[in-house]
Amino acid sequence: MSTTMTPVKARRSTSEKEKATPAWQKTLTSDRAARVAALLSFFLFWVVISALFARVPGPVEVVQRLVDEFSRGEVFGNFGSTLYRFGVGVALATVVGIAVGVIMGLSQLGRAFFESPVLVALSIPAIIWSFLTVMWFGFGDLSPIITTFLTSVPFVIVNVAQGVRGVSRDLRDMSTTYKVPLSRRIKDLVLPAVTGYVAAGIRFAIIIGWNGVLLAEWFGGGGGVGYRARWWYDANRFGGFAAWVVLFVGFIVLLDRFVLDRVIQRAFRWRDASA
Amino acid sequence: MAVLTIKNLAKTFNVGTPRASRVLDDISFDVRGGTFVSIVGPSGCGKSTLLNIISGVEEHTSGDISLTSDSGGPARMGYVFQDPRLLPWRSVMKNMMYVQNDRSEATVGRCRKYLEMVGLTKNADFFPGQLSGGMQQRVGIARAFAVEPDLLLMDEPFSHLDAITARGLRAQLQDIWAQSKKTVVFVTHDVVEAVELSDRIIVLQPGGRIFEDITIDLPRPRRQTDPTVATLQAEVLGRLETMKAMARTPEAVA
Ligand SMILES: Nc1ncnc2c1ncn2[C@@H]1O[C@H](COP(=O)(O)OP(=O)(O)O)[C@@H](O)[C@H]1O
Ligand SMILES: [Mg+2]
Repeated sequence: MSTTMTPVKARRSTSEKEKATPAWQKTLTSDRAARVAALLSFFLFWVVISALFARVPGPVEVVQRLVDEFSRGEVFGNFGSTLYRFGVGVALATVVGIAVGVIMGLSQLGRAFFESPVLVALSIPAIIWSFLTVMWFGFGDLSPIITTFLTSVPFVIVNVAQGVRGVSRDLRDMSTTYKVPLSRRIKDLVLPAVTGYVAAGIRFAIIIGWNGVLLAEWFGGGGGVGYRARWWYDANRFGGFAAWVVLFVGFIVLLDRFVLDRVIQRAFRWRDASA
Repeated sequence: MAVLTIKNLAKTFNVGTPRASRVLDDISFDVRGGTFVSIVGPSGCGKSTLLNIISGVEEHTSGDISLTSDSGGPARMGYVFQDPRLLPWRSVMKNMMYVQNDRSEATVGRCRKYLEMVGLTKNADFFPGQLSGGMQQRVGIARAFAVEPDLLLMDEPFSHLDAITARGLRAQLQDIWAQSKKTVVFVTHDVVEAVELSDRIIVLQPGGRIFEDITIDLPRPRRQTDPTVATLQAEVLGRLETMKAMARTPEAVA
């Protein structure tokens, strides 16, 4: 029996496919479109839920409250204090986290020493730290700073230590053969090798740390975003409460996208330079 | 004067465990200053282990090893690895400086000089990822020479390169070595390469013993096209075949 062979259709090259795809389709299937879609669906969800439940403030109300707060002159002072506390706390966590992480990654002894304390710290939620620090340090700037620091530093440590342990054995041996001093090894070998892990650690610190700062301000009383949010909450005005939370979370998201992302890309430009 | 002296050196991995394996067994030789010595042997016979013990990355199980330096201070070592081992996030020049003792003008100048000798002056500010494999290996060679080592170790530095690139680099290495007269211990599984480059070849057999110690007395520079070089290469290759044949029938020999 004989079969007729139909010629296999020639496969299309990527440039042909590229040309065949209409522009609107490319736009719709882009990463950016996915991000916009996520934002839109969240917004829609919010609108629907707030329309159904009286106790959920809708976007319009939240924006109104925010404008009110601005006109009352409450925003800059409170937001400024929170940012200051948050910034100092995260900066401390970054510096201490990198130092401890490097020690844990390089030395067996350091690892044995720090492993359990870090694990314990990792499991303590921000709310516990905020109770403790308010008890210890009272209502000033110190409680939110220390809470931010304590909630975020274990994440930096764990990330950095993991990165340091993964530094190429070959490059470490090379450094040993050439008797490169430890300080230079850390600066030129370990730290650049763990940039990605450090960045991930700082990202975690920021995302986890804001819990800390807001909670400490909530239970403390020295002003700030958390304090103001609680003020509205206690007054049973959820719109005001939501306004502050939206303001701060929005800020964190923007910080992450526009500052952290760029810094990370810059740190990795040697990778893009590669052929 | 001997720069490197090794006496009854032995190495066993995983001592005291069921996985214990003896890789080097009763190795003794010394290397005089200014000579180019090759260590040749089939893959897995312990060549890299021996170099790593000399460089201090690996510890030896028994025996003695001593290094002397011209300066009287601790011996300075250079190491060219099988792969380039450059910091990917630092430029070529910064990679050269990474292994230097100091940051002085003289040191920078010396790094420039060796980069020029391997023909990479124009690439000083490139990242390693922007260079070809052969160029990266040349940076590794320049780096090793630039520390002005008392002893220069090389572990199959050309084995990952294509034949044409490797031949070019061997010629370049001969030139640089002729100018600097460093003491070199060069590991390779390639007898032809060893004869072309060395004053002396130490043949290691499987099981990590020295099978033979051959002096290569040929004028330099050596060209692969030179018939006397080719003859000697064939002869050494023949002896290695004998060694392999003996290794295959240990009962018959014993
Ligand atoms: N860290 C190690 N632990 C256990 N065995 C090893 C280790 N390094 C090398 N070996 C073994 O030692 C032998 C010699 O290895 P190597 O020195 O790399 O050989 P060569 O360089 O001559 O090819 C091999 O059998 C290898 O498996
Ligand atoms: Mg080897």
